[in-house]
Amino acid sequence: MHLEAIAEKCTGCRICENFCSVKHEGAIWPERARIRILAETDSGPFTPNVCRQCEDAACAAACPVEAITKDQSTGAWVVNDDECIGCENCVEACPYHAMFFDAESGKAFKCDLCGGEPECVAICPFGAVQKVP
Amino acid sequence: MFPYRGYAGKCLYVDLTSGKIETREYDKALAENYLGGNGFGTRLLWENVGPEVDALAPENLLIFSTGPLCGTIVPNPGRMEVIGKSPLTGIYGDANTGGFLGPEFKFAGWDAVVITGQSPRPVYLAIADNQVELRDASHLWGLTTSQTENAIRQAWGDPRVKTATIGPAGENLVRFAGIQITPQRSAARCGLGAVMGSKRLKAIAVRGHGPIRVADPHRLHKVAIALHKRLRANPIFPAVHAHGTPGIVSLMDALGRFPTQNFRMGSFSYVDRINADTLRARAFVRDLACFGCPVACDKLYCVPDGPYAETALRSVEYETVNALGACIWNANLDALLAANRLCDELGLDTISAGRVISFAMELWDEEILNLDDTGGLALYWGDMDTVLPLLRMIAYREGFGNLLAEGVRRAAQTIGRGAERYAMHVKGMEIAAQDGRAQKSMGLAHVTSTRGADHLKAFPVIDETGYPDEGRRRYGEQYLPDIVQPLATKHKAFLVKDGEDFGAVVDSVGMCKSGGTFVLAEIYWPDIAAALEAATGMEMPVEQLQRIGERIYNLQRCYNALHGITRADDKLPRRFSEEASPSGNAKGQTIDIEPMLEEYYQLRGWDAETGWPTAKKLRELGLEGAIERLQR
Repeated sequence: MHLEAIAEKCTGCRICENFCSVKHEGAIWPERARIRILAETDSGPFTPNVCRQCEDAACAAACPVEAITKDQSTGAWVVNDDECIGCENCVEACPYHAMFFDAESGKAFKCDLCGGEPECVAICPFGAVQKVP
Repeated sequence: MFPYRGYAGKCLYVDLTSGKIETREYDKALAENYLGGNGFGTRLLWENVGPEVDALAPENLLIFSTGPLCGTIVPNPGRMEVIGKSPLTGIYGDANTGGFLGPEFKFAGWDAVVITGQSPRPVYLAIADNQVELRDASHLWGLTTSQTENAIRQAWGDPRVKTATIGPAGENLVRFAGIQITPQRSAARCGLGAVMGSKRLKAIAVRGHGPIRVADPHRLHKVAIALHKRLRANPIFPAVHAHGTPGIVSLMDALGRFPTQNFRMGSFSYVDRINADTLRARAFVRDLACFGCPVACDKLYCVPDGPYAETALRSVEYETVNALGACIWNANLDALLAANRLCDELGLDTISAGRVISFAMELWDEEILNLDDTGGLALYWGDMDTVLPLLRMIAYREGFGNLLAEGVRRAAQTIGRGAERYAMHVKGMEIAAQDGRAQKSMGLAHVTSTRGADHLKAFPVIDETGYPDEGRRRYGEQYLPDIVQPLATKHKAFLVKDGEDFGAVVDSVGMCKSGGTFVLAEIYWPDIAAALEAATGMEMPVEQLQRIGERIYNLQRCYNALHGITRADDKLPRRFSEEASPSGNAKGQTIDIEPMLEEYYQLRGWDAETGWPTAKKLRELGLEGAIERLQR
């Protein structure tokens, strides 16, 4: 499974970022969201930017300690915090800018598909983010 | 340590005279008794800005204030308040804005910014998380609002900086100058842009990277999800999403509630040329939303061709379609959009700007004004070749524009010769696009509003067109059918009081009246109480929340009482009681507000003679200090 953005449906409201951060961080924190709205201007066009969960994941390939592994049940590439050494190679390697770095904890973070029920898909009022099996 | 979550927990106090910037912890008692937003500003104004202070004097406060639900995950949490004494009305003043600025304040770690004093030179306040400083704005002074925003973003190298800026109108102390807010939204009313101009504060720019922490994320998530689902299932949701506020243009016109030619009429012969369908067909580009809003009532519009080609703007509202359309007899939609955009750039409130022009046009039509008075301008109804330059003249206070920049009330006093008969205001505030003859509750709301004529304090939408289901759900069977009938007066005092108290709470927590709370009539007292408990960790029984709303509204009334406002000021322009509405559903109607007003004072526990809150009511609300102050 992976997520797909339907850019023309996005209104730029950032509800997805807010719910994503509540799910993963327990706070409303767009700077820690796994999904990010890219905006050409304040009034759009907008593109919800999501991890593609690539077949050949550049992030996983770039990781020197194999901390990024595929969750076979959801198809999501996930960062194992215990293994991550914070080198940020994965952040640089991702061609979609969907890998992020938390300077506080020194760990990389990314979309984990919420264990199979992504918050962003459930909450987007206009279906601008969808699940693709 | 400030104990509640949902808040950032601290405020900025900026004295522009000395340049001193101070951080203060959010006041716990203030949060408990006034929540934040509107309530926070009301209390500070009450305590610090007495009747002796002129609105444009350095001692006036300008308060940018968010609330505990602003920036959270409840639906439409993007709202914030700006509060200060109004240079237009001389009494309590506030303006509310959507967009993205309020949440950005909180991500930066601030609930409110309280500004006093007057800077010796133009400055702007730069807030980058914890780094706060006043920066020189000499190079920005004179720029339009979007030029200012762009220049600040360029200097910071960050397109996600959010700003509040004034344009030339605020700099030139136009009494109805607004404050333009990212993205092209406006804290428009009460002339608070002129207060900002008087302080030589060109802009506030904010960028925040931090979290908004809440007391119980799981519970808030549950409450929020349920509210989002209810909004999306609301029967009015599709229409509000499709057209935004302009969606009601044709409906209001049919009701005879769409002010035309300065309220001579309530319907516009050419309404089809400026209504929602025409607007969409002509200029729609895409749907837009404020922060965290599932309704997405905002749209990007762009004029495709013709003399106004490539005029692009968002936040085109019902009010502006009326003010720069029907009320000045303008049926040219492209020119209307150009005038809207121009007001945004100059930093003018579109409502008051449109109203001073419709006022002047009626005086011209009645031959009270002539070419000598106007400096050679002929003010024919609907002549946009005059209106567009006149808007600039107002913003720069040039020629005849200098007179109109004072607002309808002052302009009428200066002109004399019977002009006051055509001055459509209450307490100095120009009346927006409602007509008490066609909707009785709105007539009452205009006179009881604490910021002068205003629909948004009580915001009685339930009887605009008659929403029986919503009326039943919200108030119960015993109030039907009258409470939802536009021309009925029964139960309207109750409707207005409840709306004012609830509205004060909505404006204090940081939610939107155009979203779920009023327009969709979906989110009500228990919903906000539940969200507040989850977000802040306060205990908030519904009765306590209602008391907070009542406390805020009563304190605003007390503030106005200090400034000499009494029952005698709670009156509509004579036109509404003397001239029958000529059109639509309201044909033949006038309005007598006195019986509704009598009932309203009774419900409020206010003295029927003075119109002031009684000592008993003030004690009940914990406002003992106000009793003594009003007696002096």
